[in-house]
Amino acid sequence: MSSLKKKINNMNLIRFRFWFQIVAFVLIVYGGYASLDLGDKLPTFACVFNSEGTGGKCYIGMLQHDLKNPFEIFTGFAGYAFLISLIMFMVWFWVLNKSWCGFVCPLGTMQDWLTALREKLKIRFSEYSWASRSNIKSIKYILLILLLIIPVMISNSIFGLPKLPNGLSMPFCDICPGRMLIPAFTGNFNQFYIDFSSKTDLVMTTLGMIIVGLFLVGSFIKKRFFCYFCPMAALQYIFSKPALLKLYKDGAKCTKCGDCYRACDMDILEIADDVTNKNLVTEDCILCLKCVAACPEDGCLEANFTGITIFESTKEGFILRMAMNKQKESHE
Amino acid sequence: MSNINHNIESPKEKQNRHKAMEAIKLLNTLREDFKAPIKSMEYFYDLFERVHCKHESLHDGKTKIGTMCIQIPSEIIYALDGVPVRLCNGFYTDDEIGSDLMPQKACPLIKATVGHFASGNFTDKPDIVFSPTTCDQKTKAGTTIESFGYKLIDIDFPRTKESEASREYWRRSVKQFAVELSKFQGKKLNRTDLRNAIKKIGYAQSLYHKLSDFRKKEIVPILGLDVFLVTNAFFFDKIDNWIEATEKLISELEIRAKEKITVTGKASPRIVYTGSPPIFPNYKIPQIIEESDGIIVADETCSSNRMFNDMVAVDEWNIYDMMDSISDKYLKACTCPIFTKNEDRIRRVVQLVKEYKAEGVIYQAFAGCTVYEMEQRSVLEAMEKEGIPILYLESDYSPSQGGQLSTRVEAFIESLKTRRRKKK
Repeated sequence: MSSLKKKINNMNLIRFRFWFQIVAFVLIVYGGYASLDLGDKLPTFACVFNSEGTGGKCYIGMLQHDLKNPFEIFTGFAGYAFLISLIMFMVWFWVLNKSWCGFVCPLGTMQDWLTALREKLKIRFSEYSWASRSNIKSIKYILLILLLIIPVMISNSIFGLPKLPNGLSMPFCDICPGRMLIPAFTGNFNQFYIDFSSKTDLVMTTLGMIIVGLFLVGSFIKKRFFCYFCPMAALQYIFSKPALLKLYKDGAKCTKCGDCYRACDMDILEIADDVTNKNLVTEDCILCLKCVAACPEDGCLEANFTGITIFESTKEGFILRMAMNKQKESHE
Repeated sequence: MSNINHNIESPKEKQNRHKAMEAIKLLNTLREDFKAPIKSMEYFYDLFERVHCKHESLHDGKTKIGTMCIQIPSEIIYALDGVPVRLCNGFYTDDEIGSDLMPQKACPLIKATVGHFASGNFTDKPDIVFSPTTCDQKTKAGTTIESFGYKLIDIDFPRTKESEASREYWRRSVKQFAVELSKFQGKKLNRTDLRNAIKKIGYAQSLYHKLSDFRKKEIVPILGLDVFLVTNAFFFDKIDNWIEATEKLISELEIRAKEKITVTGKASPRIVYTGSPPIFPNYKIPQIIEESDGIIVADETCSSNRMFNDMVAVDEWNIYDMMDSISDKYLKACTCPIFTKNEDRIRRVVQLVKEYKAEGVIYQAFAGCTVYEMEQRSVLEAMEKEGIPILYLESDYSPSQGGQLSTRVEAFIESLKTRRRKKK
């Protein structure tokens, strides 16, 4: 048991995650070809527009679709169905917590590939200043509220406002880069279009094209660029507290060296500076566990599943991961 | 007529003779006065004897880069083919020379360092000196040292470490340092060399951590004094030799741990040492502690633990990220008292007490080291809150203070023993 534990703590997380993400990507983007169907309540971007390939469907799409109905419907059976969907989403989410973002999400994986490409080209990543970093935090919640409220306003008049056109039934999907990029991986480029049929469609599809461009450029220069604005992350965070997988920190053991912060793709300052809280799954955390792998203090950071430590920071593991264990010089 | 061949001793010879006496006195004590001496420590005893008594130089033909504090990144020096030589000085002889050049109440470490420069009497004379603007006295000593004709470059160091500005500021300083050194060396910093340097220093640090692990055990196989000697050797030794010697030391300690060979008495209280750094041969306080049946199991000083504990972690092994992680390592984790707020140091001492199962803390400040003297109050308060006994001492480099200090240390150690008995 203890030798297995040691093996896990000494693992090369970067490599493990790289392959895990590839497997997850294949399942989600191409799983449909092998008739894999994980349902339509997945807490990750499994795109409904990738109709043949997708191994499951994203709950954000489902949620918008459900909310389009008039209020009266929800008082009956549809209300229960809606609740059950939400619970299904939570159950999926609770298993992995935000690791859905760090290990499964195909959009996240694409961004990590772009990051790897940039690293290969020896181009420095850019960072937000701390002030702008905290200013942009609220954007994902605004997007979430909009994507919840816009579909509702199609069939219902809220505060006496006029009803919205039907073209807005999936407002987030219109602007989600996943709609264009995920099907593209199965050779389907049909989602790259601008729809001139109505004003609404024109605006939304144009926005979508702009955002996909921003996504590609942004995540090339900024690690996990899109995740800062992701409404899925906002929705997930609301339910994050009871999740089974956790990132714990023992503040007493922390020297605030900041190694974890530097490894963090989401530039989460708390991971290094917070020495009082135990649960360090913050709103932007993608639970990629890079911080645990970069921490040189024994038992300071750990990934914990249902109360059991599954991966924790150790000096030995750190030294192995940084290849400081042997005195061999490398030449390139 | 008889004194025709009698040479009058030059000041330099006198300085050498006095320093050799200081050094050999301590080395002989370490070699002979404690039980169960460690064979592989002989390398280190011999190293200090060669350098300080026989005045052998270690780095002939290499460019020696003098550093005035731990914040000058050795990784960059090695990557640019230099040899870092840390010039913090522990000799009373040099302290006396420096006294004429510095204010009376200045810190003995600075006085000794300045005195050493004033004498110009080096076994490995630095070709260039980098001085980070850490404490007031070190910052100001730079100009004095420069006036003796040394090439000295100040490296801007911030006095806070929490803010974004200080982080950026220090990153720029480190880049500037690399530029200056690269100019001086006529060599461009490249990725492979920097990576190798980071890994080599990381490996040396990992050895220190292994060494420390033995001190966590119930049976302590090595004296705190010996560990100070090992870490002090890292100031100036050839890094490959140091690594080899420390590897040997670790394998000997492994055997000793198995055979349960201890250097302590039956009930020696375990001590964490913090405060002004013991630098060879000023081991006055550690020596008193370990001669009074205490055992130093860990320390929080810049001549030992602080120099080795925190390691550079690189996410993307390109120059830009290596430079940033080096910069962060030398700033963020540092618990030097020059920083404004210093809860980190308190948390660190408490954690060391827990991790090394220590029973008390001894806090030494050099008379004249204002920042350690000032921080004393908050550390004492924090230890009281944690229920950790602590003794605060003020000392300097003079050999005359011994009696009074040892009475206080002995009394403290006795009280720790009584405390333990009462607990049982």
